[in-house]
Parts: sequence; structure tokens; C-alpha cells
Amino acid sequence: MTAKPQPQPTPLTEPYWAAASQGKLSLQRCTACAVWHHFPVPRCTSCGSDALTFEPVSGHGTVETFTIVHRSFAPGFTGAPYAMAWIALPEQAGLRVFANVTDCLPETVTIGMKVTVWFEQRGDFALPNFRPA
Amino acid sequence: MTPSRFHHAVITGAGCTEFSRESGRSVLELAIEAADLALADAGMERGAIDGMLTYQLGDSVVCATMARSLGLDRLRWHNDIHGGGSQCASILGEAALLIEAGLAETILIYRAMNGRSGKRMGQIGQGAGDGMEEQFLRPYGFLGPAHLCALSSQLYMHQRGLSADDLAELVIAQRAKAAKNPRALLRTPLTRDDYFAAPMIAEPLRRLDCCLETDAACALIVTSTRNAKSAAQGRPIHIRAAVRGGGPGIAAMDKAGADPSAIFSRHVAPLIYEAAGLAPSHIDLLQLYDAYSPLILQQLEDFGFCEPGELHEIVRDGRLAQNGRLPLNLNGGLLSEGYVHGLNNVIEAVTQLQGRAGERQTPGASMALCTGFGGSMGSAAILSVEP
Ligand SMILES: [Zn+2]
Repeated sequence: MTAKPQPQPTPLTEPYWAAASQGKLSLQRCTACAVWHHFPVPRCTSCGSDALTFEPVSGHGTVETFTIVHRSFAPGFTGAPYAMAWIALPEQAGLRVFANVTDCLPETVTIGMKVTVWFEQRGDFALPNFRPA
Repeated sequence: MTPSRFHHAVITGAGCTEFSRESGRSVLELAIEAADLALADAGMERGAIDGMLTYQLGDSVVCATMARSLGLDRLRWHNDIHGGGSQCASILGEAALLIEAGLAETILIYRAMNGRSGKRMGQIGQGAGDGMEEQFLRPYGFLGPAHLCALSSQLYMHQRGLSADDLAELVIAQRAKAAKNPRALLRTPLTRDDYFAAPMIAEPLRRLDCCLETDAACALIVTSTRNAKSAAQGRPIHIRAAVRGGGPGIAAMDKAGADPSAIFSRHVAPLIYEAAGLAPSHIDLLQLYDAYSPLILQQLEDFGFCEPGELHEIVRDGRLAQNGRLPLNLNGGLLSEGYVHGLNNVIEAVTQLQGRAGERQTPGASMALCTGFGGSMGSAAILSVEP
């Protein structure tokens, strides 16, 4: 069976995956205007600064929207239905991460559900995922 | 009413190959056939073409190959535009611009694809940005446009209190229209039971909420009004306005600013009405991009054809039917006719405005809205019978 894909970091995103492998959900933040960014950006889209760093977030979140995928062409996802979601983070309005919602039946996932991060080991990487809080 | 933004550009011909799931022919052969059909429809010879535009994502044939194959030796402008469905309406604006500027006189627009037997649209990535985003999506099993749409539609339907019943009504109604379209891939009437028996792909999208990967080519001829007077077989159709735009996130609708349910129409609707100097009340035919059924609901609201609270009603009260006040996707749309990256929906608008749609003709439509979807980026064009 085909393995699920691993992330392929770029210099811009490498700190995100490095933090994940330490068990931390760490997102990019502008040191000039304090705005969070995800996915990572080369320049702050809010103030234009290039002084960006990665800082840990709480790891608590809310399912903003989701889908349960029943038929998938995605490599390694050929079996049971799975839930993919955008998770809204409390640190900033509009700040969200993409993940699977696990550790519950997919059909129990709802918009507004409180979730918390955990890390799935996949090869050399640790993949942030979320489960019911 | 403001006159057309483009004074000299009209659509005078359209052509489509057979729609199938396995053409058994090359994309180039399909493109040539569609081009010749469109030329014949416009009453023109190949040599009249001096401009060429196409768009591509997945299977395609490029302009240089087409020009060589058609034996053209005096092309004055051509362009291979990157992109899929979001281009199907704005490409009319690009053709009109070239004609208004005097850079070309007669433009062939085409889209050719073996979308089922060649490169399947459902299995390719979005091709947007620098590819950096894939590492945050693919490891979670995110792949292709259905997943993108499912995520935004789920939230939109939740916000508006819409259910699978509403989608069922839309899809059943659309199939009924396709029954009158000899070109449509799916013409068998649907029941509610058929709808709910269809396998779930990615909630809320069942298989019947998704367009059909199709092998086909479609082509249009856009020419100057001067040429059109002598050449047109059908009534020349005016391109009143076209826009192409988008909101935050561009192709990645899922992280589009404050509301991840927002699709292109939220951003493009005010732009097209402003560009055309028109209001929703002027429009009497809708050919809305419907690669996934929930997109229709969002566009009906965003383009001002109903209030959010009316959505449940509009799919049931006959307004969108062939003889309704707002006839919608009379070819059966991308869900039932087939999927040639939206250009087939645009061709239906032209055919209807020309009064040549046969059994599926809506009476007296004179102003049509066509749209193209690509996440939070997309396009719209308003076509009309009068200049
Ligand atoms: Zn900043």
C-alpha cells in the first residue's frame, strides 16, 4: 500500500516542521507588527517587514469548517473515511491551520467543535493533527 | 442602461465536438474539429483567424500547435493562459480587448481536453502559487478541486441552514434540463432516491454534486462588428462587460480572509455590475459555473438574484426553470452536460441569446450572465443581444 506523503519543507517552512518534531505547534509571527501568519510568508503581508519569527501557539482550536472524505485519490488515503478541517486558533481572528481531526468517528466532527493539537509521527516528521478537546 | 463596454467585439460562432468519456482521439484533433465548427457557424474560413486564445490546466493543446495545424500564417496575437474554469468567462473580455485595441480582427477561443481519458481534472493539484502550500495540505489527504469546494461549501451551507435536500432539488432540476440537450452526457431523469443513493465523495458533495470529467473541445469566434455584418450565420452576440478578480487567498479559497466560505462571486459580483453599468434585475439568463452543485447557491446569493433567506425557496419555486424568471444552466450545466472547463456553459448562453437552442430554448432572453470559478478567484461576463 502507498504510504501517506510526508511534508517537503522549504527554507521558509523548515522551522514549522522542526518545532513540530519537538511537539510544538509553532507559527510564523511578524516581530514588527505582531501579526501571525499561516501558511508562512516571505514578507509580512500586514506591514511589509521581513522580521518574521516562529512562536508557539496554545494548540487549542475550533473546527471552522471540515469535510469527511469518503473517496480519495490522495496517496495513502484509500481506506476509511477521514476528516480534514480548517482549525481556527484563538491567538488571532482568521488564523487557522489545516489538519485531520482524529481520535473520534469522522461523523461526529462538527463546525464549532473544540479541538486540541497532537503530533502524528510520520517518517522523519511529526504532523500536527487535532482531536476533540 | 449603459451601452456595451466593448463596442466592436461580438461573438458570431460557436462549435463543440461530441462530449464523451473516451474520445479515442487526440486533444489536437478535438480542438481542430471544434474550431472548424465554430468557423462554419460564423460563416468564416480558417484564414480569417488572426488572433487565438486558450486556457489550460491539465490536458490541452497550445496555440502554436493549433496555428500550425490550421495552416495560419498571419496570426497577430495569441496567448496560452494558465488556469481552468476561472478563465471561461474572462477570456471573452481578453478577446474583446484585442479587437477594441485593433490588435486582432477575428479571434478563435478554444478549450480542448481529454478530461476523462487523458489527464483527469479530479486528480491534479491546483497549480497555484509556488507549490509551498502543498506540504500543509497533501499529507492530510487533501487533493484536488473537490476537496477545496467541499470545505467552503460545508461552512456556507451551515451558515445558511441549507441541507442535502436543497442540493438534491438543484441537481434533479438540472438533470431535467439536460434531458432536452442532445449533447449532454447524462440525460436520464433523476429521483430523490437516485440522488441520495449516489456515493459520498467529500461531504457535502455526493458524486451527483460533482461535474463529469469529459473528453471534448469547445470553440468560439469573436470578431469585429464590421466583419460580423457580412459573416454571421446566427445573430451576433455582444460582450457587454467581463471581469476577472478575486479575494484574499486567490486560489486557496479555504484560507480566504475572514470567511473561508467565500468564493469568487463574493468579490466579482460588484465588479461585473459596475463594469457593465447594470444591476441583477437586467439579467434574464444565468449560465453559472457549476462544477459542484453548492457553487450555484453561493452565486445566486452573491450576484444578487436572491436573499440568503430565499435560497431554500429558489431551488423549488420554478424561478430557475426554462420558463422561469431566471432560467439557469439550460444545457444541464457542468453537472449533466459535461465539463469543458466551463466554456460549454458560455456557449449555451450564446446559443440561447441567438434563439437557436431548440427544445430547451428559453423565451426572449436578451441578457446573460456567465461565470467561471477558481476558488476565491474567478470571472464573469455579461452577454447581450443588443449592443
Ligand atoms: Zn508585520
